[in-house]
Amino acid sequence: MSSEELLRLTGVARTVELPDGDDLHILTSVDLLVRRGDHVGIVGRSGTGKSTLLNLLGLLDRPTGGTLEWAGRNVTDISGRQAARIRGRDVGFVFQQFNLLPGRTALENVMAPLLYASGKEFWQRRRIAAAMLDQVGLGDRLDAMPQFLSGGEQQRIAIARALVRRPTVVLADEPTGALDVETGAMVMKLLDQATYESGAALITITHDQNVAALARRRFRLAEGRLHPLAEEAAV
Amino acid sequence: MRAAAARVATGLAASTVEAWQELRIHKLRVLLSLVGVAVAVASITATVAAGQIAKQMFTESYETEGRPAHISISAYDDRNGMPLSVERVRPAFQTVAERFGVTYASARISAFDIKATTAGSSKRVELMGVDPAYAAIHRVVVPQGRWLEESDKESLSPALVVDETFLKKLGLQGTPLPTSVDLRGQGMSVTATIVGVTSMRGYGTPRAFMLADSLVHWQTGAPTDAGYEMWVPVEGADELAGEINAAMRAELPGLQVDAYRDDYMAWGGEDPIGPIKWVIIGIAGIILLLGALSLLNIALVTIQQRIREIGIRRSFGATTGRVFFSVMMESVVATVVAGLVGVLLAVAAVKNPLVEKYVLQGIDDVPPFPLSAAFLGLAVALAVGALAGILPAMIAARVKIIDAIRF
Repeated sequence: MSSEELLRLTGVARTVELPDGDDLHILTSVDLLVRRGDHVGIVGRSGTGKSTLLNLLGLLDRPTGGTLEWAGRNVTDISGRQAARIRGRDVGFVFQQFNLLPGRTALENVMAPLLYASGKEFWQRRRIAAAMLDQVGLGDRLDAMPQFLSGGEQQRIAIARALVRRPTVVLADEPTGALDVETGAMVMKLLDQATYESGAALITITHDQNVAALARRRFRLAEGRLHPLAEEAAV
Repeated sequence: MRAAAARVATGLAASTVEAWQELRIHKLRVLLSLVGVAVAVASITATVAAGQIAKQMFTESYETEGRPAHISISAYDDRNGMPLSVERVRPAFQTVAERFGVTYASARISAFDIKATTAGSSKRVELMGVDPAYAAIHRVVVPQGRWLEESDKESLSPALVVDETFLKKLGLQGTPLPTSVDLRGQGMSVTATIVGVTSMRGYGTPRAFMLADSLVHWQTGAPTDAGYEMWVPVEGADELAGEINAAMRAELPGLQVDAYRDDYMAWGGEDPIGPIKWVIIGIAGIILLLGALSLLNIALVTIQQRIREIGIRRSFGATTGRVFFSVMMESVVATVVAGLVGVLLAVAAVKNPLVEKYVLQGIDDVPPFPLSAAFLGLAVALAVGALAGILPAMIAARVKIIDAIRF
């Protein structure tokens, strides 16, 4: 896998103003480098800023300090429109609660991100989405409504949806949080394999040490910083 | 440039797909909220269409009596109330018309008890002596043959233009023109030549037109039942009628002359169903407003339930503008569909065979459904959709993406 640099965080901070006027420093100085094919696991206790970090990585939020680079481009202060474009093209999200669109079939859910694509990706969205669902083992459940599927199947739909536009980075926020241990392990294996095969980097944020253990590089988020836990020799 | 256009086209198509999916999922609520819109669009379209059809029919019918501004002139002896002879009044009328530069001026001389005879039939007909300008003044259409011309007065056999009833009753249908017919009665005995057939609707009696000069020439004994008319520009027509009246009196000293406007616009017949139309449109407007309010109400409630979904879409790369447009499109697509249903209902109502049979009875040629009314209906539906969609779209666009995902 290539060592192409995808994401670089240098001294990233996020501070919010509380209603009483005081500042709350959620992230103080986060440094992180993510390359293509990486699997990074970030663990941390509740309230340590895991989700805030994920929002920053996915360009859903802006840092209040430091710099954030996407493929060598400084994106710290880009417009909402540009952020949306990068997000649509390069980021796939997998949420704890699956966040599937209600009232839509498995296929329609996977097709949904392709509605924001253009050209071939948009016009051939049905074929692309069906192939993606087939890849996660749900090729026979295209027309199933998510509410009638198991938690594991729903998360597989979410994974297919996150990967359907071939993103360069997949951000998983507690991806096994709503699943039992066995199903969670199976889903994580699938997520790891599917992202690795697509050449994307996977960043998993979790409080579950077992899930984090699957990552090739692991960090602990505490006091607003990332602390390396263990790192594979050759990333 | 091409890439940008393709992106815009894809964006529009994608927003419509999204809107359609959303509407499909919420069929029932959409259907319920759109009933009012469809009914209102149907009422507005049907009313405007019926109004236009009626107006067209009335206008056409009125204009056969004389196009605006139409000035009628009559002259009579004040002492005994008797109309004056054509020989006396017509030259005066022609002089006045020439002096005022009136291009379209015609005499209207009626000849009664004239019997037309062909090889197979003989019928009593209405014969009128007119000038060539009569056709323009009364919007006479001659689909077969031609109208009367100034040079026809030289013909030994006077030229005749007849209506379809004339042809039918005298067994001349399908006969190639010109064809001959004998006219007798009231001191007249001449073989006339039919040169044209008008599409004017008659009242059962065959009608024929001849040049006034020919009629005066061929009818022994001066015809007296004559009127005169002019077609002048609408602007300043009333004042002109007064001036013509004075000029005619000067030409005919000691005699009584009446010159006055008598076209439908002069007596306020411009829009025959005007007041009723506005009442119906007013009621339809209120229905439309209520329909739009119910649409808005439901859209506002549902948008609150869709905050998480909007957040998810933002995570896929949907921009604020795209979210705004998609939510507005839901409303627009819905109301346009309702508008189409409304327009179809209106067409079905107005062009219904039963309506044509009982409401528009006696009218041979009902005008087609006006396209402008259909477009108006659709435009109204589109506008209501856009207006009812703006508020929910603004709320959706303001959703904070981070909060929405965790909603």
